[in-house]
Amino acid sequence: MVDFIASPLFNGLFTAMVVFLFTTGLTLIFGILRVLNFAHGGFFMIGAYVAFTLVRAVGAQTSVLGYIGVSIVAGIVTGLCGIVVERVIFRPLQKVDESYSLIATYALLLITEGAVKSIWGVSFHSVAPPDVMNGAVFAGNLVMPIYALVIIALGVLSYALLEWILQHTETGKLMKSVASDPWMAGMLGVNVPRFYTYLVVAGFFMAGVAGGLLLPNQTLSPNLASTFVIQAFGALIVGGMGNIRGTFLAAILLCVVDSFGSLYFPAVPGLLFYIAMTLALLFRPQGLIAGARI
Amino acid sequence: MKSLFPTQLGRDAAIGAVIVIAMLAMPSLASKGFVFILGTLSLHIVFGLSWNLMFGQTGLVSFGHASFFAIGGYAYALTARLYPDLHPLLAFSGAGLFSAALALLVGMVALRRSLGVYFAILTLALSQIVYLVLSSIPALGREDGFTGIRRPMLDLGVVAIDLAQGNNYYYFIIVVSALLAALLWWVMHSRFGRAFRSIQQDPDRAAFLGINVQANRLAAFAIASGVTAVAGALYGPWLQLLTPEVAHWTFSARPILYALLGGVQSFWGPVVGAAGFAFLEYGTRTMHGFSEIIIGTILLIVVLVFPGGILGGLALLGKRVGSKVRNETRVEEAP
Repeated sequence: MVDFIASPLFNGLFTAMVVFLFTTGLTLIFGILRVLNFAHGGFFMIGAYVAFTLVRAVGAQTSVLGYIGVSIVAGIVTGLCGIVVERVIFRPLQKVDESYSLIATYALLLITEGAVKSIWGVSFHSVAPPDVMNGAVFAGNLVMPIYALVIIALGVLSYALLEWILQHTETGKLMKSVASDPWMAGMLGVNVPRFYTYLVVAGFFMAGVAGGLLLPNQTLSPNLASTFVIQAFGALIVGGMGNIRGTFLAAILLCVVDSFGSLYFPAVPGLLFYIAMTLALLFRPQGLIAGARI
Repeated sequence: MKSLFPTQLGRDAAIGAVIVIAMLAMPSLASKGFVFILGTLSLHIVFGLSWNLMFGQTGLVSFGHASFFAIGGYAYALTARLYPDLHPLLAFSGAGLFSAALALLVGMVALRRSLGVYFAILTLALSQIVYLVLSSIPALGREDGFTGIRRPMLDLGVVAIDLAQGNNYYYFIIVVSALLAALLWWVMHSRFGRAFRSIQQDPDRAAFLGINVQANRLAAFAIASGVTAVAGALYGPWLQLLTPEVAHWTFSARPILYALLGGVQSFWGPVVGAAGFAFLEYGTRTMHGFSEIIIGTILLIVVLVFPGGILGGLALLGKRVGSKVRNETRVEEAP
């Protein structure tokens, strides 16, 4: 019972929150700027590498506070990158066709991969989670690593926080108004270009923080960027073109299905994710949450 | 130029002939390594040209074009292993037709339900499925790849050419690539091409004029997939190895880069783009890490400064220079 239902459910939820944490910044930028940012994976990776360097410099990562602090520093570094990227790339892209912006962000992904290779080299690295998170909680036969529980909690927390900001604060209302009609928002006195800058910086900050938080979860290599980005696109599009709630639900749906899939079809791990994604796109092309932007 | 070649057919045929002759002459002029790069390049050119039939002509953004390249490659490799006596031309065209039929099936469902970014992401998901399946089938070599793909004996009735000898397979690649490119040129400039372009510009109006939008999109998707599958089929014996990497999404990004780098409006855009990319890759191959930075930066500059690609940028430049010259002559004539 536990082996066949509870355990894959738990693993699915864990990967879903990993994907969701990765996708938040991507969703914000896509929801408002309509730029499908391939390079998001690249900046996630840079965040992870920055966090790795900091952990190495301090010594072993022991305290929870250090873990969070390192992640925030990583987020600040990628956020600063975001300022440059917005000025140099995203702003001019507003004038060109959508497919060109896809190419531009892909080019940026190449640049980040090259930067990571030349700064940190191509060898693989890994980091253990802080000591407190090293154990596991047992509920009957179900083994729940504390680190996985922390990530699930972080995923749900950040979803709740974003939802609250979007639905109940002035900033959120501003975001919605710019998303639905930037021209009109500009007419009503919103400084739309500056708003875009803040937004891109926030999105890149989230990419870096996610890179730091998820660092203990994966092996660091220059391929990290391209492995995550496709799953993130899946969650984003199945969710419904860049709204946070849809992305959250889509990430859970796809990852839980995939987790059950890996249990029953172990020969091809990961296959069910894309089959579920294909079916979701065919039967509900407007996305799980249609119409709502952001 | 206009007076030299009164028709587009004449001009494009002349350009094509020059390229093909130059490529055919290369083995006697250049080193073995360079010839290998050129053979690969010509298959990549077909890859890019066929993608642009969907994008530049019909307005479909496929992000899974590599999966058909891979399916063609693996289909040929498997056929050649299981039926070594089958005529290679039959095996190559069979791989193409098989992929075209597969594309027809996929397209019938996918194109009805999704367009634009949805279609792009849907093809991306499908190509990930192909990638995962190819990397897990033991008979296809899993992640290690399909090894020992032989270059076949080409029996043309009058003569039999052993493609494993010398540069024979290279010549074969160039000739077949040229034929595939000519086929794509013909499709683009036939009534199909005109229907495709009308759909790209405005699907509603095209439908109103009596063009079957659905069938034409499907046709573009199937033709592009079939042509790229033949290129994939040729790729296996060229490298004598196929790995699932040819189905990976980063390989699907290649034809997109080629077309946009060269310019999607022109037939020759993907050719210029693929050649430019190969040149960049070759020039930066020893610079570890920096090669991606350089390629990425150049791509960014092209996209941001010349959104029409290299050919679009050149055309713009030519127009500016042309109008300047005309203005100057007018000034001279004035007094």
